[in-house]
Amino acid sequence: MKRSWYASPYALWMVLFTAVPLLFVCYYAFTDASGAFTVGNFTKIAQPMYLLVLWDSVRLAFLCTVLCLLIGYPTAYFLSGRDLNHAQSLVVLILVPMWMNFLLRTYAMMTLFEDNGVINSLLEAVGLPRLHMIGTEGAVLTGMVYNFLPFMVLPIYTVLKKMDYSIIEAAEDLGCSPLRVVTRVVLPMSVPGVVSGVTMVFMPAVTTFAISRLLSSGMIYLVGDMIEDYFISMNNRNVGSSISLVMLVLIILSIGLLRKVDPDNSGGGLW
Amino acid sequence: MIQDTRLIEIKNVCKRFGETEVLHDVNLYIRKCEFVTLLGPSGCGKTTLLRILGGFEMPTSGEVLFEGKDVTAIPPYKRRINTVFQKYALFNHLNVYDNIAFGLKLKTPEQMGCKSKKEQKEEIHRRVMRMLKLVKMEGYEKRSTNALSGGQQQRIAIARALVNEPEVLLLDEPLGALDLKLRKEMQLELKTMQQQLGITFIYVTHDQEEALTMSDTIAVMNGGRIQQIGDPKGIYDEPKNAFVADFIGESNILDGVMLEDELVKFHGTEFQCVDEGFAPDEPVDVVIRPEDIMIVGADVGMLTGTVESVIFKGVHYEMMVNTGAQRWKVHSTTMQPVGSQVGMTIVPYNIHIMRKQKEA
Repeated sequence: MKRSWYASPYALWMVLFTAVPLLFVCYYAFTDASGAFTVGNFTKIAQPMYLLVLWDSVRLAFLCTVLCLLIGYPTAYFLSGRDLNHAQSLVVLILVPMWMNFLLRTYAMMTLFEDNGVINSLLEAVGLPRLHMIGTEGAVLTGMVYNFLPFMVLPIYTVLKKMDYSIIEAAEDLGCSPLRVVTRVVLPMSVPGVVSGVTMVFMPAVTTFAISRLLSSGMIYLVGDMIEDYFISMNNRNVGSSISLVMLVLIILSIGLLRKVDPDNSGGGLW
Repeated sequence: MIQDTRLIEIKNVCKRFGETEVLHDVNLYIRKCEFVTLLGPSGCGKTTLLRILGGFEMPTSGEVLFEGKDVTAIPPYKRRINTVFQKYALFNHLNVYDNIAFGLKLKTPEQMGCKSKKEQKEEIHRRVMRMLKLVKMEGYEKRSTNALSGGQQQRIAIARALVNEPEVLLLDEPLGALDLKLRKEMQLELKTMQQQLGITFIYVTHDQEEALTMSDTIAVMNGGRIQQIGDPKGIYDEPKNAFVADFIGESNILDGVMLEDELVKFHGTEFQCVDEGFAPDEPVDVVIRPEDIMIVGADVGMLTGTVESVIFKGVHYEMMVNTGAQRWKVHSTTMQPVGSQVGMTIVPYNIHIMRKQKEA
């Protein structure tokens, strides 16, 4: 049996659940309700209202990625330290939230952020004024960062952990102060991990829908929510498909851009 | 040429990792322009000693002096010492040129004696190009380090360290990963570079031949202690104890008793030797090099035995000769057939007597 045949179950799966649906999406995107060819779906979503939703999604995903990077990189750097005992158990600790379904986690965040939620009860108990959090962009962003942070930490951690310690000693030997070791060697050499982490956070973040809906009480409306509405509440799969297609193209473009930063894809990225 | 000034002094250095003592009261001085090799088996502490010199480890006690000043606590980036690492440790996010220029680019124009950034850039270019020529890697400056062979990576690692014009270059088994032929070539090249540039080299290896080929001075180490310091010939001809004799070259080592000056008894026989100054009947180690045993007729030898095995080694044959009480390793250019009776003769000058080593 040829080796490639071992992949046939997966190939069948791909055809049934990726290739064929993608063709359907393309078909619906370029037809109207009666099935006639049209580009009307695209001109419709070129309107400012739709573009604003798209802009909001990209903006929030971008902010989420930056926050994840700012929190995740130092964490990964700390975890990869060679003097650190129990690094492995700390890594597991970062993974633990991922063992729970993200919807459950998001519902849990709702109970934290609600006007009568856990945080406000605590604030009241210590005599501080209540905060209105649910429904704000901050709450949505917190939820997104919370959900996607492990995807940033892990690839960076892997790259840093693999780095030979003698590389760092070589940098010190050649005249790098401890700060310069980080800026001249550690950061540039971990670019593949950063690229991988950024991709893994930005992609799901830009199409997120449940997190924004739940934590903003419907106040913040993102592309993911819009696609869901077109397919389910409005039963208009044509416009829904065209938005999906636009998102797909955007995502492919951003992968292409990131590839330029890390041409060998040496971070072992999933995308 | 080696100068008389002591560039580095290692004084009473001890190093412990937890319960294990890796270095025990090490004392050593290194002169300017000297090629010093730290030689010993794995785990003898040679790499730890090198890392202390580089500033990567702190000794538990004792001090390191550089031109008379205590540098024990000075971090690596402030030392005028550069290192060639065992696994090269090249920066694979930079090409060959930028790897070599790495250290120079960290300097300010003033530190390189330049008036402007532009002038510094030109100076860096000149020096990197000179280094590429020195390590015979001209034309490789744009290459990625990932695309280089082991030998080429090693050359870049050497160039990257030397371009900073350090007072001292530390080399941690730099040729360990190369094949025999390339290793021999690089040994000679390194020695030539060291003499041309007039830089002090401190070289760590477990390969005794490498040490003998390259060094001005060898420090033989075992069990965290320096066993003997001397020039290659001195160490080979006059090993101070049985460990050094065994480690440097091959040896037959026997238990013996010094009966009086210039008379030693081993293998149940009395032998004339040239050593003096032992206590009467002092137990000693007797060391005889395999090439110092002469094969003669069975009837005229000081010892007689049976040839047990013969291996052709290129220049000579290595034979194991059994005399009943001892199996002797003998090197000879003429072969004796297995099973034949041979006689063996050793001249007094080639019998090396050593005081028994007290177990640490």
